[in-house]
Amino acid sequence: MTSAVSLSGLRKSFGALDTIAGIDLEIDHGSFVSVIGPSGCGKSTLLRVIAGLEPATSGQVLVNGEPAADARRHKRVAMVPQHPGLLPWRTVGANARLLLDVNRRANGSTTTDPIQLLERVGLGSFLDARPHQLSGGMQQRVALVRALALGAPLLAMDEPLAALDEITRAEMRGLINQLVEGRGVTTIFVTHSISEAVALSDRVLVTSPRPARIVADIEVDLPRPRPDDVDDDPRFFQLCTRVRHALLEGAAE
Amino acid sequence: MNRVRYLAPIVGLAVFFGAWEALVRAFDIRPFVLATPSRVIQYMGRFPDDYFRAALLTMRHATIGFAIAVVVALVLGAAMASSRFFEYATQPVLTLIAVTPFAAYIASIKVGLGSFSEKPVIFIVALVTLPAFAFAAADGMRGADPWSRELLASVDASRWEVVWHLRLPSALPALFTAAKYNTGLALIVAYLAEGGAGGLGAIGARASAGNQGDRLWAAIFSMAILGTISLVLLNLLQRAVMGWHASQRSQGA
Repeated sequence: MTSAVSLSGLRKSFGALDTIAGIDLEIDHGSFVSVIGPSGCGKSTLLRVIAGLEPATSGQVLVNGEPAADARRHKRVAMVPQHPGLLPWRTVGANARLLLDVNRRANGSTTTDPIQLLERVGLGSFLDARPHQLSGGMQQRVALVRALALGAPLLAMDEPLAALDEITRAEMRGLINQLVEGRGVTTIFVTHSISEAVALSDRVLVTSPRPARIVADIEVDLPRPRPDDVDDDPRFFQLCTRVRHALLEGAAE
Repeated sequence: MNRVRYLAPIVGLAVFFGAWEALVRAFDIRPFVLATPSRVIQYMGRFPDDYFRAALLTMRHATIGFAIAVVVALVLGAAMASSRFFEYATQPVLTLIAVTPFAAYIASIKVGLGSFSEKPVIFIVALVTLPAFAFAAADGMRGADPWSRELLASVDASRWEVVWHLRLPSALPALFTAAKYNTGLALIVAYLAEGGAGGLGAIGARASAGNQGDRLWAAIFSMAILGTISLVLLNLLQRAVMGWHASQRSQGA
């Protein structure tokens, strides 16, 4: 069986600037993988290459066995960007439907009713509200629903919680676990936060400063479904320490 | 607060027309130079049908020209926003149209398209109002939120879908600003271009030639009323289609 994501010899440069320096990676179906690394190291570029938004300079990028550009055309990658990017003229319900409303021919058979998902994330009474009436956390929940509604086998999240306050981030973390666990969806989650990476993932990839390489690949053997108080688990603490050390070593190399 | 909102403009206008009336009477100014408001209204009251029909015709010329300019500007704007080459090629032409005094070439175009037909009138209105609309459309469409653009690209939305779902709504604020500026302009251009084609411009031209002050000022009053009605309609339209925009929300929302 092919991997959900398969990178071999992936390099990406913008002109003379090397952003990604040779990454080989296999990601299993249904796993949650975080990519963590220093600011500006090329994590977001890596995600954009996997999502088919940016061609690789060399090497191969396969998503469920097909080239990334084809996966994008077939709507098999669902993005959750750093900024929710909700359209102010659309209601919450219509924003959640946006990705289903375009390139309709590529809609798969696994799409989910966005209204149902909005109800699940506690926004059932905001269907007709406009984005400006929502808090930052609520807006990011709509962005999450918008991606999940596609029913794509790969979810690509680019620091979706970066702009949120501490309390909302903790809430969102639990919500992401609930929504993604048991769906069989593969998730790549780019983040700056060590605790977020450990709390959400099955596997944490630590990257070096630019050009990005993977300097550590850490298995997270915390129980599934993840309890909300996973932070209190001593193994959680150990894993965070390992990730932190890997980041420091990667930066020192 | 509301009473002030509605009362103040009435007071302002009453003072303006009162002062006008008083000045004309005090200095015994000839009607052709400046007729008193009371005299103009009396005169219009004697030929209500003539002015009403002429006003409808002028409104028709201005509206059709205006509408053609909007449609052409949207096509040009979308092309300018997506191709730098096209933008740089189009800009000098639009600028040329904007800076050339239309009054100077009205006669030539009328000879070309038929002096007693409405075609040259509509053509000139469309031509003169085009630059502001095209620049607004191009700027507004190019300014569409980059996060949303990336999001639509991630599911391979077509160019047309991006225009419809993102670029066009993003351009609405700029387009309405241009429309407010162009409303007065369209009416002025129609008035000046009408001549033999009928409308308030025809009444005005004949009155000027015949030194008929009452008639001329009645046409001018009718134009002012038309302009006011047009702006009120435009504001209502803006409220209807741009209710999501911060400029259209009541304070405190």
